[in-house]
Amino acid sequence: MSTTLAPERILREMSDIWVDLAKQADGDASAGVLRSCSMTLVVIAQEGEDAMALGETLAALMPEHPARAIVIWPKRNEPLAAKVTAQCWMPFGQRRQICCEQIEITAPEGSMPDVASVISPIAAPDLPLIVWCRCRGTFEEPGFGALAEMANKVIVDTSAWPDGKGAIGRLAAMAARGITLGDLSWTHLTRWREMLSQVFENAMYLARLPEISRVRMRYNAANMEPMARYMGAWVVNSLENAGVRVELTLEPGADDPAVELSGKDFRVELVRQDGRMITTVNGLSDCTSLPPSSDYLLLSEELGIVQRDETFERVLALAARS
Amino acid sequence: MVIFGASGDLTKRKLVPALFRLAYDRRLSAGFAVVGISRTPLSDDQFREKMMEAVKSFSEDTQFDPEVWAAFAQGLFYVPGDINDPGLYQRLAQKLGEIEQSRHTGGNVLFYLSTQPSQYGQAALGLGSAGLGKGSGWRRLVVEKPFGHDLASARALSDELHQVFDESDVYRIDHYLGKETVQNILAFRFGNGIFEPLWNRRYVNHVQITAAESIGVEGRGAYYQEAGALADMIQNHLLQVMATIAMEPSASFHATSVRDERSKLLRSIRQMKPDEIRCNSAPGQYGPARIGGAQVPGFRQEHGVDAESQADTYAAVTFFVDNWRWAGVPFYLRSGKRLPKRVTEIAIQFNPAPLAIFDGEGTVPNLLTVRIQPEEGISLKFLSKRPGTGMTLRPVSMDFNYGSSFGERSPSAYETLLLDAIIGDATLYTRQDMVEASWTVVEPIQTVWRETKYDFPNYAAGTWGPKSADEMLARRGHVWRKP
Repeated sequence: MSTTLAPERILREMSDIWVDLAKQADGDASAGVLRSCSMTLVVIAQEGEDAMALGETLAALMPEHPARAIVIWPKRNEPLAAKVTAQCWMPFGQRRQICCEQIEITAPEGSMPDVASVISPIAAPDLPLIVWCRCRGTFEEPGFGALAEMANKVIVDTSAWPDGKGAIGRLAAMAARGITLGDLSWTHLTRWREMLSQVFENAMYLARLPEISRVRMRYNAANMEPMARYMGAWVVNSLENAGVRVELTLEPGADDPAVELSGKDFRVELVRQDGRMITTVNGLSDCTSLPPSSDYLLLSEELGIVQRDETFERVLALAARS
Repeated sequence: MVIFGASGDLTKRKLVPALFRLAYDRRLSAGFAVVGISRTPLSDDQFREKMMEAVKSFSEDTQFDPEVWAAFAQGLFYVPGDINDPGLYQRLAQKLGEIEQSRHTGGNVLFYLSTQPSQYGQAALGLGSAGLGKGSGWRRLVVEKPFGHDLASARALSDELHQVFDESDVYRIDHYLGKETVQNILAFRFGNGIFEPLWNRRYVNHVQITAAESIGVEGRGAYYQEAGALADMIQNHLLQVMATIAMEPSASFHATSVRDERSKLLRSIRQMKPDEIRCNSAPGQYGPARIGGAQVPGFRQEHGVDAESQADTYAAVTFFVDNWRWAGVPFYLRSGKRLPKRVTEIAIQFNPAPLAIFDGEGTVPNLLTVRIQPEEGISLKFLSKRPGTGMTLRPVSMDFNYGSSFGERSPSAYETLLLDAIIGDATLYTRQDMVEASWTVVEPIQTVWRETKYDFPNYAAGTWGPKSADEMLARRGHVWRKP
């Protein structure tokens, strides 16, 4: 089934696309296209996932993070092949389109080493290479290591993996090999961490920090275990940095995820219900909007951090040990 | 124009398609004629037929126009014969006399040696003995590389050519110099005021010149086994490109003036001693690998290659230029077969900002990249603030691309160079003193490499070369780009 991919052909097709787009401008310098690229984004899709939905996510990302996108579609019964297109948009009020290159590679089972060998030649030079691995099976293939090693960052989403603790362990092992990682389960927590930090911007509450002795994480075991473990590790680590030692308990089975910090006469709780975040401090509640995140929002945030995220790396290591 | 080696690959793939394109663009005079010479017995018509097939097959972006071809083909002639046979030159003289009469060429003749290098001297002497070195018009000789295999042989070759032709009539062709972007280096440097003040040791950290090929030796194993990447690419193409990047501004764009500056630069390159060579050079040879699902052989598995061959299919060298402008700035040159992609680029890495006031990527240096092939263009990488709150910096690049900026084709290197030779402009050709200066710095490296037994193969096909080449840069805290 597997045939071959020729990097030179892909590069030539990319080059031809720009010449064709320039010709369409027909000498009008104010029209035509503007080539835009700030990174190479390699997306490893899941077999059978909705191509249109993924295409929409990438189209939404491109204006903020213009990239040479290489989308790898695992397709068990199709030969190794590549197709080059351009993703273009017209900024409001302008006559010139902005375009990014997109390469779609169909990869039959077991072909990841072959695919990895063509990524280096077709990646945009001198710009970061980010791998967004949406497929857990591929992440665990032996060939994935070669791809991860050439990437500036590998992004996964462990919330879709069946065993949260095991997933964090595997990520920690990869991070220990020097690979820079991002996990959308962690990205989900940005708003949670902000809200919890804001509680302690109140000097009165900050002064009561030493009273906290217990941290409880309540979560839905189906897809929130990695988030709960990350959040728990982050809270414990933050409190330890402030000289407060606490006991962490993880409580699966809750419909509404929550984090609770409590002591003798002090209790802080953040709970998410129906698209809202409710923050309660000693019975006094506040409510803000927290709509569900999308892949686009989460990835857009992650792509903004191309270099190592030291906070995440520390939390990942702690979460893997707990 | 007289082509020796008219049945060879270069004639079919490059020379005649380039001449046809020049005719297509009405850049050749009406009486222009080509005389092909080779041992293969052919009539004029058979030669025309073969060349028509060549033009149809190898003209990449020129539509075949039968009427243009018909007019062009009227000027194609063929003289069969052996370069070592004195009779050949007599027949050629007779043919040139007929053409001069019938096509009013004014006695101007451009001789093009597209033969085995070992036959260059014989061909020049044969032309001389038949009185073809001089005539009623100008007489010029174009020679393809290699110009010798070391300093002594380069000098010997020049001596033979000079028995018949003056140095000013000898055009040593280096097709790299005919590429649009290489010529654009001069425009970029000397036509703009903003770059030249930065073009020195104070602002430039180091320079990387890469000529990578994704293909293997493609049936040229026997030749490559003798030549190697150092002699085949670095001694000529890459040192010429380096000279163009690093030369001083010439007083004018006159051939002598430009070539004097290029030559001066080549003569300023430091000659290394054997112990310096071991630290500042890295030979490599590719081994077998699987790329994109295809199994590719190692060099030693290629046809005609010795199973224990010590030939370098990859060469990386650090050069230093001992002049005030470049003292202490390393110039890293590398070339290889079976690297991940076909690309030729010059990357000028500037010093980082003297003070890093931003967290994270605040010290990423600026990079100016000149792409020679493919997608000829220039790109400048710099840091920019990412939109949004906070001060996050991200590298971005500003690109100029020939294909999409002008929307018109660039002439091939051979079109440019052949036309230059016809009109007598030697600016883009290599002079004897440049060849000798190049060999002076390359020959000691070649000698050390030949005296050393390397543990080849030392890089897998489809990768960016041996570890020793990475280590060569790491000693100065640098890393190779991945173009």
